[in-house]
Amino acid sequence: MSDVTLESLTKTYGDETAVDGIDLTIRDGEILGVVGPSGCGKTTTLRTIAGFETPTQGRVLFDEVDVTHVPPEERNVGLVFQSYALFDTMTVRENVAFGLKMQGVPKAERRERADDLLAMLDIAELADRRPTTLSGGQQQRVGLARALAIEPHVLLLDEPMTGLDAELKRRLRDEIGDLLADLEVTTLYVTHDQEEAMAMCDRIAVLSDGTLEQVGPPAEIYRRPATPFVANFIGSSTLLEGVAENGHVDLGFTELPVDAETDGAVRVAARPAAFELDEGQIAADVTDVTYLGDRTQLAATLPDDTTVTLHADGIDGYRVGDSIPLSIDEQRVHVLEAG
Amino acid sequence: MSVRKSATASVRHLAALASTTARPTTERERERRRIAVLCLPFFALAIVAGFVPLAMLVRISLAEDTIWMAGWSLEAWETLATTPTYRRVAWNTLWFVGLATAVSVALGVAVAHVLEKYDLPAKRVVVAAVSFPIALPGIIVAYLIVVLLGRQGLVTNAVAVATGGAPLDLASATAITGLFLGYVYSLLPRATMVLRGTYAEINTQAEEAAHTLGASRWQTFYHVTLPEIRPGIVAAVILTFRSGLAIFGTVLILQSHRVVTLQIHEETSVGSYSPDVAAAIGLVYVAFIVAFTFVGLRFVDNDAVEI
Repeated sequence: MSDVTLESLTKTYGDETAVDGIDLTIRDGEILGVVGPSGCGKTTTLRTIAGFETPTQGRVLFDEVDVTHVPPEERNVGLVFQSYALFDTMTVRENVAFGLKMQGVPKAERRERADDLLAMLDIAELADRRPTTLSGGQQQRVGLARALAIEPHVLLLDEPMTGLDAELKRRLRDEIGDLLADLEVTTLYVTHDQEEAMAMCDRIAVLSDGTLEQVGPPAEIYRRPATPFVANFIGSSTLLEGVAENGHVDLGFTELPVDAETDGAVRVAARPAAFELDEGQIAADVTDVTYLGDRTQLAATLPDDTTVTLHADGIDGYRVGDSIPLSIDEQRVHVLEAG
Repeated sequence: MSVRKSATASVRHLAALASTTARPTTERERERRRIAVLCLPFFALAIVAGFVPLAMLVRISLAEDTIWMAGWSLEAWETLATTPTYRRVAWNTLWFVGLATAVSVALGVAVAHVLEKYDLPAKRVVVAAVSFPIALPGIIVAYLIVVLLGRQGLVTNAVAVATGGAPLDLASATAITGLFLGYVYSLLPRATMVLRGTYAEINTQAEEAAHTLGASRWQTFYHVTLPEIRPGIVAAVILTFRSGLAIFGTVLILQSHRVVTLQIHEETSVGSYSPDVAAAIGLVYVAFIVAFTFVGLRFVDNDAVEI
């Protein structure tokens, strides 16, 4: 296992910049999630670490060794694809043993190691099957076993759960998370599913338009988003315009006693949980009601015409056009510089 | 059930099938009618241009008279079976076309690989150049070979200038190498077109996975790509080999190697006129093509690979 460091990583395709000067370290043994919207550069970053893309600028280091121009086959990187990318003409065992075969490991040993990995992933009984006969979840386990078999410097997972049903995704997420934590494999986990990233990763890097917006533990990313983009992308937030002065933020329709580093114009990121319904002095007009099973999601307009997202427990308790009182829990908001 | 009852049941079943196909009431029957309508021209053509001439060949190979069935004889077949010349022609044809097929398919794999795997600056020009020989008559291909490798040929004279040799000694247009070049030139586009289609369906991420697992470019091709394109290779071999067997114009002009098409031409020419033997050769040829195709197609679906 290794530290993986990206130094000022930039990748352009003609006039398009896919990755723009990213500095990032995946620490030895940690699972780093990379999240962001489509086209933000997360897959390009992953492919650059794997060696399939050569950066336009910057370097890729494995344990401080520059591998920027090392071809993929010499990097010892495990890659798990969204589409599984298994070798259909081989059995499951042959798939898992393939990397060991390329390393020149004797047949008996690679068979034993492949069987051990299959047992670890609870798919030992599939060893002699062809990948095309397996379910999506089984194929993804085989893909993971194949990538782990070579004991990679770094394991790269490119949206491995996409396409699986919700229940299987939840189960596989827990299993893979536990396995990677046990094996202490340095892992880059690319996903567009922030819940998945929150559940599995030690830290999360949020990308937008090829730039790194924020990197940190899931709780920090959620509670203290560094930028409006992160506040909006991770969970849902409402950004309220205000003016900070002497430890208070004046939102126009209410004042909040919050920690603002500087005085002046600020934005206050407030998640649905920051709003307490049916109490307080703020009058909000309900404009939309969506029943989501375990909660009801409301859209409401504040006195300054800002639309906020609210969560309520009740079923059928609210109607479009209702005026409801609100308060804001200052412990649950985060102040950002106005940008 | 007696044979008679069984036959009656089959006829009734076919009649019912024909009736429902003509006047379909379910979607399945309408689909069957669409299939019948779409396939009708082909079956009509197959009967007129295939089965009728084949039946005529059978008759000619067995009849003493070339027009009427005036008595019958196995003489042509006996001649074919016992004359060493025909066995030599068969062997000449098989090894020569087999080798030309192997070279064409190997080159086709390389060309298809380049066309499908890489972004070429003038891809359309390359595709047009590669597919161009399909449109050339064999006689023109022979002419090209003469222009390149004949006594006055460009390549012949270039080599002569470079080596100091005599063009007369270096000319190979009418040698077997010239003919071989003509065959490969004609067959390569067929192999390439088939293989391009196969290459387009390759799982490129599986190849990338192989790279990350330590496989070199060659190992990835051997272990991952080759098994995936194997059905395409088999299809290319079948198509190319059959096309190679049918080449006539080029071999007629260059005359450097006696293959089956040239032999049939000889058997129907003034001087050695033996239409019954020509017909027998033709039937053996057709039987071989059919058997070869069926055997070849068995390998298309068999994707087992030793790891």
